[in-house]
Amino acid sequence: MLAVLAGCVLLVIAAVYFAEPAHSLPGFFPGHVSAGSSEAAHHHVKHGIAALAVALAAFAYAWFATGPAARRSHTTA
Amino acid sequence: MISYFQAAILGIVQGIAEPFPVSSLGHGVILPRAFGWNIHQNDDFFLAFLVATHLATALVLLGFFWEDWKRIVAGVVRSLREREIREGDADARLGWLLIIGTIPVGLIGLLLEKPLRSVFASPASAAAFLIANGLMLLGAERLRRRVVATDAVGSDERLSHMSWRNAGFVGTAQAIGLIPGFSRSGATMSAGLVAGLSNEDAARFAFLLATPIIGAAALLKVPDLLGPAGNGVRGPALVGAICAAITTYFSVKFLLRFFETNRLTPFGIYCVTAGVLLTLAFAAGL
Repeated sequence: MLAVLAGCVLLVIAAVYFAEPAHSLPGFFPGHVSAGSSEAAHHHVKHGIAALAVALAAFAYAWFATGPAARRSHTTA
Repeated sequence: MISYFQAAILGIVQGIAEPFPVSSLGHGVILPRAFGWNIHQNDDFFLAFLVATHLATALVLLGFFWEDWKRIVAGVVRSLREREIREGDADARLGWLLIIGTIPVGLIGLLLEKPLRSVFASPASAAAFLIANGLMLLGAERLRRRVVATDAVGSDERLSHMSWRNAGFVGTAQAIGLIPGFSRSGATMSAGLVAGLSNEDAARFAFLLATPIIGAAALLKVPDLLGPAGNGVRGPALVGAICAAITTYFSVKFLLRFFETNRLTPFGIYCVTAGVLLTLAFAAGL
């Protein structure tokens, strides 16, 4: 459940990185710059890809963690 | 700009130095300085040129291990469909080990590649890190665990017994290759030895790990080659890519056979020797 939640949050973060230029990113996002900066219009696509990759990893983990093998091991325990 | 001759030389060196554990990035920084060429690691046209040679390297690696990749991808798809990695499904497990090994270096590369490259782009620092790379290779051979490599099972089956933690460790070790002078494949092979793999299995795992990461990094930068930065360099880039493709193919073929019976030691000695000589030469102003 936690992995799914983390994956959803990371998907949103990835979308923000893809959609917003650096100066429009929330202040606590890595890569945020002020509007006057020379990199203000830059889109941090790489940050977006990184967030997307971790989101997919979180979803994959959740997928296996709730699969038949995990259920079997819970039952055995 | 890069001439066709320079492109051919740089392509040949890229194709050899990428799979060999001797740092292609380091050689790419050092070689122009050693030959007195006016090419610098952070020049836009040179970065565009590197996209083509790296893409060629990735395509050759993909083609070389095509049958393996088909099995591995089928294994990953199978495991996703069944929502479990079945006992004895070596292809599925190896596929997920490769994914786990790729994620850390992918993240580190995406976030730190540019700053690391700009900080350590000088030939002098690349030569110094080449010495460190050699020491890493020699150290890994000393720290290696005793390996019981049985010929009865295939390399992929042996690799599939690697733990998830070790796959993450070996994959993360690749990130050191972002520093010019350190070899990505050298770091992967060294970490593989320390994690208990044989030279042969460590080399195979390194080449399999290399394909997605080099390919993705190159694909991500294809717009650089096709954009204004690529103007005037696309012809030499094509020549460099062809040369890189040819030498990558023969290098991988050679290394897979070499590591059946040999170790990283000669490459470690080469890196230390070349690094020391180049450091002295650069210090003397040559």
